[in-house]
Amino acid sequence: MATVTRPDEEVLRLGPNIPEANIQLPGVEKYEQVTREIQRTLYPTKLWFAGLSVAIICMLIGLGAWMWQVYMGLGVAGYSPPVMWGVYIVTFVFWVGIGHAGTLISAILYLFRAGFRTTIYRAAEAMTVFAIMTAGLFPILHLGRPWKFFWLIPYPNWRLIWPQFKSPLVWDVFAILTYLTVSSTFLYIGLLPDFAALRDAEPRPLRKHIYGVLSLGWRNSELEWRHFARAYLFLAAFSTPLVLSVHSTVSFDFAMADTPGWHATLFAPYFVAGAIFSGIGMVFTIIIPIRRWFHLKHYVTLNHLDAAAKLCLFTSLVVGTAYLTEFFIGWIGGNSMEQSYWWNRVFGQWWWAAWVMLTCNCVLPLTLFVQRLRRNTTWLFTLSIFINLGMWFERFVIFDPSLSHEFEPWQWTRYAPTYVDWAILLGSFGWFTMWFMLFIKNFPVVAISEVKEIVPPPLRTPHPVEGIEVTGMRLAFEPETPGERD
Amino acid sequence: MQGIVGVFRELDATVDAVHALKKLRAGNIDIYTPAPRHELEGILTHRPSIVRLYTLIGGLAGATFGYWIPIWISDYWPLVVGGKPVPSWVPYTIISFELMVLIGSLATVAGLFITARVPRITMTVGYDERFSNANFGVWVECPPEKQAGVTETMKRHGATEVRGER
Repeated sequence: MATVTRPDEEVLRLGPNIPEANIQLPGVEKYEQVTREIQRTLYPTKLWFAGLSVAIICMLIGLGAWMWQVYMGLGVAGYSPPVMWGVYIVTFVFWVGIGHAGTLISAILYLFRAGFRTTIYRAAEAMTVFAIMTAGLFPILHLGRPWKFFWLIPYPNWRLIWPQFKSPLVWDVFAILTYLTVSSTFLYIGLLPDFAALRDAEPRPLRKHIYGVLSLGWRNSELEWRHFARAYLFLAAFSTPLVLSVHSTVSFDFAMADTPGWHATLFAPYFVAGAIFSGIGMVFTIIIPIRRWFHLKHYVTLNHLDAAAKLCLFTSLVVGTAYLTEFFIGWIGGNSMEQSYWWNRVFGQWWWAAWVMLTCNCVLPLTLFVQRLRRNTTWLFTLSIFINLGMWFERFVIFDPSLSHEFEPWQWTRYAPTYVDWAILLGSFGWFTMWFMLFIKNFPVVAISEVKEIVPPPLRTPHPVEGIEVTGMRLAFEPETPGERD
Repeated sequence: MQGIVGVFRELDATVDAVHALKKLRAGNIDIYTPAPRHELEGILTHRPSIVRLYTLIGGLAGATFGYWIPIWISDYWPLVVGGKPVPSWVPYTIISFELMVLIGSLATVAGLFITARVPRITMTVGYDERFSNANFGVWVECPPEKQAGVTETMKRHGATEVRGER
């Protein structure tokens, strides 16, 4: 919605009308084309049914493992003191992190008027909602009595007891629930005009009716757009500090504890940077197959992927700096327990996990300095898989080496996930993928109305490539640049 | 409620038609556009959206509630540690911030719904399905004696279809 806010008179006088003039879609020429081509993606295919089936099977495997764990107790999940936070908490933080890139792309880049977000933000936003839905399951899975999870919510009760508001676990409840609610709201409000477009274009009666209900009677009137623009701006403004706060709050779960490797003020920015980095990796994992299978290469162009890859490279460098800072502080602090912990983490018991993390998160993304690789979708997709892997291992390396190597040497131990852990991890990917697959065939994965904002409007007066006059205003369009038609 | 609805193919034709119709003073005008356009902003009104008021009130209410509930609960069930003050505003700021964002966002959405008058149970007159796809639309609510003038003005400025509705 980058062009809907009220420009000041100076901007109106000077133009360009479109703040994202450097990100044009020359392969998209007409408004009708946008509606038609996005609506075309909503017809299910055999490949989609196959993907959905695989996702549901994976989810059922995870569900079965969880039921087995409820029956047998948490012991089947490989926990033994002092390592009581394992794969579940690792995966919880992993999925919360995945969600962050969606909000970054949809809200923060909206406020910064970054044009390349226009065609990828809807997929990223949906990814955020489903990732938070997945993450929210893990603290519950981790409970010995999962049916008591609501005790963390402050509600009036006959026991007259309340949660401890000084506990980071309670902060988590507020942060995650707020994030889920605001992200879902932001997604739905952005979808309203698109539901209206689909309601009016859809030939299938049932779908037409459903879109009609979901669109809430939206009519694209000037009154609606005016208030919509303002509301969308404020929702983006709320989401921006929220995205920074949520993973900071998650990091407090660890940083508040006096455990080697955890008790650091660096944790909040370190977690936020890592979250955004991992989320961008997941965006590539999702958007590259979508643009190919849905024939949307002229919407999600190589220029968009190139710009997102630069963001990925930047966040990789931030994460790498955080790793080095951790090592440096551990060394220069002079605390023998910290030094022992760091040595054990990188060269000792957990060397393999630490080097998977460093290779995937710091070394491989350096290839994005090469423009040819930033514009190579095969490499971007491959790299995104490595980033997902590396960021899962980052959380593993943060949590379990610390718990297994605390202050007393007699407490030093090992930790190995069991088949239940792996099955539930697989199930989480199935759960996430199932929702995402359902989303992409029922809702527009590219924002119809926002794409129309960057498509040249139909005019009575023919215009040359580099400028037009409409009611006294000059609208500048940049000439085509390489990669936009790919 | 009766009037004339005009369907326009081009943006500049729509803008010209709206300017002409305003001069005609035939009645209330509404514009439909598939995507928000700066050219159509401010033609009908220059008043800023009041959604911001809902946002402000919701945000302030959320922040206040977010401080109030933990302070009240701390006082109700005091956990005295080392003689320190029972309500601790630093951790409570996290709760306050989260509730500010939550209630502020929900108030913003409520503000949007109230000011933009959605949800709308039935589509009112003066709307055409083409307005969400590729066409621009202008609706003028006017009495029968002014409809001929409105129709003529719309056609003169390039309307591809003009029809009366009630």
